[in-house]
Amino acid sequence: MAVDVERARRRFSIEEYEKMAATGILAQDDRVELIEGEIIEMSPIGDPHAAAVDNLAHLLISRLGERARVRVQGPVRVPPRSIPQPDLALLRPRSYKREAATTTDVPLVIEVADTSLQFDRTVKLRLYARAGIPEYWIADVNTDTVEVYRSPSGEGYTNRQVLAHGESVAPLAFPDAAIPIEAIFF
Amino acid sequence: MAIDVERARRRFTIDEYEKMAATGILSEDDRVELIEGEIVEMSPIGAPHMAAVAALTRLLIGRVGERAWLWVQGPVRVPPRSKPQPDLALLRERSYRREDATTVDALLFIEVSDTSLQYDRTVKLRLYAEAGIPEYWIVDVNTDTVEVYRSPSGERYGDRQVLAHGDSVAPLAFPDAVIAVDAIFV
Repeated sequence: MAVDVERARRRFSIEEYEKMAATGILAQDDRVELIEGEIIEMSPIGDPHAAAVDNLAHLLISRLGERARVRVQGPVRVPPRSIPQPDLALLRPRSYKREAATTTDVPLVIEVADTSLQFDRTVKLRLYARAGIPEYWIADVNTDTVEVYRSPSGEGYTNRQVLAHGESVAPLAFPDAAIPIEAIFF
Repeated sequence: MAIDVERARRRFTIDEYEKMAATGILSEDDRVELIEGEIVEMSPIGAPHMAAVAALTRLLIGRVGERAWLWVQGPVRVPPRSKPQPDLALLRERSYRREDATTVDALLFIEVSDTSLQYDRTVKLRLYAEAGIPEYWIVDVNTDTVEVYRSPSGERYGDRQVLAHGDSVAPLAFPDAVIAVDAIFV
């Protein structure tokens, strides 16, 4: 039974969300993220999605080495009311043991999209743009293309490129780390 | 910023919801209720709404007396994932000090509607019918009418009557507690 008439839901802060995890209201095996104060379930990960995440992790780590951390499906704090878990995030090298990763640590976030494409293009894009994340890629496993968003400004990115088979892409922060698009969708 | 693309939200059980209150994640001045696992904000109460609640309180207590409890905007457990706060609930006579009110205690639920009419007719109606609440009134302060629902069956009520100016209504459990519809909208 779905709730089919809208009423405002109670939104939660990062602190309230973390308290839910600390008190066991949210369990370790809850696959959720906090997006604009709402606790939403993450979609199940299909094979093409998992393969693209693995490929991107492998390609980025091999090219970037010690120059950046590659966080795979880990949380990034986006104050005041979001802790998304992007499929991949590049983090500037530092210790994250005691201090959680936050927006200023992140030169690039990547979402791999299968069924989540619209959500990634709208809600997630606005969230990342507003947080000033300098670069955002959407790797679409349905079309084997990568949408590259750069120059965050307000609720969007002013620069958008779509890259396909035969082309390659490199993070803005590491222009030498070129990745062929077909190597992502392999 | 509203989330305009649907993704499933994490729903909560009554126990999780109560734990949020116990740990201070939800505070006493949070005006929320748990509906089908979602924590939704309650609308601000306008003057006509409050006046109807006050009139119904006086009328019902006057006519029913000590034969039942009248709860005003108090929480009632509707397992497994709801804890609504109907504007008024007529509950069978027993002590509620140690054991929360739940669906089997309910003789009649009343929602006073101004902006919430659609929600009360769909989401709340389904919830109360499924829980077997024997009688549900929607008191509409826009039209000065009372919708009386009886005979819960599955997701709906088998019997619906709309009462207006000049009519009167009595709870099924107390047929002698007759209330003039006009007396509700004073």
